[in-house]
Amino acid sequence: MSRWLAAFLLGAGLAGGQTAPAKAAYEKANKLFVAKKFPEAAAAVSEALRLDPDLVPALTLKAKLEMASNHFEQARHALEHALLVDPKAEYAQFLYGLEAYVTNEMAEALPRFRKARQLNVKNPRAALYLGLTCESLGNTEEAMALYREAVRLEQAKGSVDAETLLPGARLLSLQGHLEESEKWVRQALKAAPNFRDSHFELARVLLKKGDAAGAVAEGETALRLTGTIVTDAQIHYLLIRAWRENGSPEKAALQADLLRSLETPKGR
Amino acid sequence: MLGRLPTCLVLFGALAVAVPVVAPSLIRFDEIAQKAGLQFTLRNAAAGQFHQIELTGGGVAVLDYNNDGCTDIFFTNGAAIPSLRKTGPEFFNRLFRNNCDMTFTDVTAEAGLTGEGYSMGAAVGDFDNDGFADLYVVGVHRNILYRNMGNGRFSDITAKAGVAGVDPRYGKMWAVSAGWFDYDNDGWLDLFVSNYVVWDGAKEPRCGSPERQFYCHPKEYQGLPGQLFHNNHDGTFTDVSQQSGIGKHIGKGMGVAFADMDGDGLTDIFVANDSVRGLLFHNDGQGKFSEVGLESGVALREDGYAIAGMGADFRDFDNDGKPDLVVSGIINDSFLLFRNPTQSGRLFDDYAQRTGLLMGTRQLTGWSLGMYDFDNDGWKDLFFGLSHLAELEKYLGRDSALPNRVFRNVEGKKFEDVSAAAGSAFQRAAMHRGVAFADFDNDGRVDAVVTVLNGPAKLFRNVSGGQSHWLALRLRGRQSNRMGLGAAVHVQLADGRDLYNAATTSVGYASSSEALVRFGLGANKTAKWIEIRWPSGGVQRLTNVAADQILEVDEGAKP
Repeated sequence: MSRWLAAFLLGAGLAGGQTAPAKAAYEKANKLFVAKKFPEAAAAVSEALRLDPDLVPALTLKAKLEMASNHFEQARHALEHALLVDPKAEYAQFLYGLEAYVTNEMAEALPRFRKARQLNVKNPRAALYLGLTCESLGNTEEAMALYREAVRLEQAKGSVDAETLLPGARLLSLQGHLEESEKWVRQALKAAPNFRDSHFELARVLLKKGDAAGAVAEGETALRLTGTIVTDAQIHYLLIRAWRENGSPEKAALQADLLRSLETPKGR
Repeated sequence: MLGRLPTCLVLFGALAVAVPVVAPSLIRFDEIAQKAGLQFTLRNAAAGQFHQIELTGGGVAVLDYNNDGCTDIFFTNGAAIPSLRKTGPEFFNRLFRNNCDMTFTDVTAEAGLTGEGYSMGAAVGDFDNDGFADLYVVGVHRNILYRNMGNGRFSDITAKAGVAGVDPRYGKMWAVSAGWFDYDNDGWLDLFVSNYVVWDGAKEPRCGSPERQFYCHPKEYQGLPGQLFHNNHDGTFTDVSQQSGIGKHIGKGMGVAFADMDGDGLTDIFVANDSVRGLLFHNDGQGKFSEVGLESGVALREDGYAIAGMGADFRDFDNDGKPDLVVSGIINDSFLLFRNPTQSGRLFDDYAQRTGLLMGTRQLTGWSLGMYDFDNDGWKDLFFGLSHLAELEKYLGRDSALPNRVFRNVEGKKFEDVSAAAGSAFQRAAMHRGVAFADFDNDGRVDAVVTVLNGPAKLFRNVSGGQSHWLALRLRGRQSNRMGLGAAVHVQLADGRDLYNAATTSVGYASSSEALVRFGLGANKTAKWIEIRWPSGGVQRLTNVAADQILEVDEGAKP
């Protein structure tokens, strides 16, 4: 359904009687989603869309729920519907990019995130994910520029998220810019001192710089914390090397044993 | 680029004429497969069903099967799916005889090498020490040992030899690569088989979406252990996988490479695994191996991520006398380069970043590879056979086919991508898979034969310019295995440089390269001395050896 047609229908009052209950159902669904009551949220969002199939926030929430359940096709259909109704729905557009990104469809993700950026150039998440997509496709220069922009945008809003800083820190480290990478990681640690991923990144940078003792300390700290993407196995592997470089092969061997103990039989 | 040089360097260069210097030559290749009569197309039998076995395969082996001094080529090939039968000649494996004039003749039928099953990889070794190179062909649930009868024919002796590869626990397995080496230095080649995953065509998992089906990630399949077969010296082998410790480690094995990593005289094993950590088996002696990949720092990428390891080579890239390790992976993995530590007890150093290989390979997907001195300047370069996974176009928005890449070794410090200058044919993209290396025209420059998924194989003739000299050693073991596999060779040049290499055919992924031990000598017309450490433990020293020859070295020869 085109946007003007939707507007016409709303304007003509054909959907008017259903909009308020639909919005109420959506609000309920959103509260349930925030409360992580996903089955209840899914039921509520279905009710909202039954009442108003073109309700963009409900379509967007449905997409989020579908993505959370790894139902990416359904998520994509919901987002395409939402964007057909409102092509300027920036959050739906961002999620549309994210849907492609998480399913590894980088060629699709790229224009979607670019459009999300166009719809709101002040959205740091759109800049960050466009950067991640560019990096995946080999455009590291643009990726780094976008990481910097994402950080700048968050700073302009008052605070920078550690997860916004770490992709840039990792790329800087890969490029051999260890000092600048360390600065980014330390900024991430300032933003979230107990975030595992930041401590792990700092340990990596320190190990590359030859500070094995520092890497051990940061690695051991990371192991005690929680994060988003860094696993225990990754930290153990780092600690194996850090302890060996630090002259303690017996402690390295202990880390290797710990890593091996985590290994489950491969495959199904 | 003279204009970019600082003035002082330009002046110094103009004055510095006292030492012999050969300007670095451009590495260049001509592609001559069609002209050479090397007409082979690898068939994977893909028909839209996204069977995992379609992705791999494509191994190629080089061997001088008739001992005429010219290296021949053997290609593995696929089969019909799901029957896994070679239902027609389009699926036959192929042997091409080198006519010694850079043309080849298909001699598959007379050699008896059409094969059976869905073949993947091949390994060359003279397992019975009769002076004729034998062939082990691995594949999906079917491995075959061919004994070279010495009369142009090969005989399938798999059953008698006991190397069918059927595991007591896992049954028939899918092997991608294999390699010959003498792990106990008893003078007879043993066999290592790199097994990938449990696969049943009738139970192929479905991945992607109904709209967009795609090949499943390897995590959807159960991994398998490698196998080790001990040579009983009588044409039979004993499966020693369990007692050696090899069979205790489950992986998703692709390429396998051998080297004596710590100079203890025993050959060690590295297995590149797909999406699980690489395995490094230290040879402890007495028939036992310890897996030390984690402790050595070569199991995973620096951030602890398991790359989709494909090919591997285990050679010394920085001329410090210790074999280093290079491993290829898929897009956004980056290829790995580990430098063997100079001090014992230290970790392998992650050298991919500082040599430029990390970012230089990040957008590549590599299959087979090799570390050879293509410009004979004394530094081993890197050649990668490349292509993304089939059907990846829709995810990447660009073609899955890729041109191959060659990286020039700049004095053991950097790897410089010189592919763009490597010739027009080198720029052509294709679905490259296996690569084997040999000097097919005996001109001292290492060539490469490359398989292409559902396309014609390529033969890259090395036409690099320059005046660099070279030397190749063809080893003839007596107490050691006849091919001298595992022998470590140290060359000292007149200009004082030391070069190191070792005899192995196990190079890259699913492929087998020539057994000759090669050295680029740069401007040196002689090697001051050559020291060969044979697997038997014997050390042989040759002095003042002239360059530009294939030197036959007999372990039993008097000094």
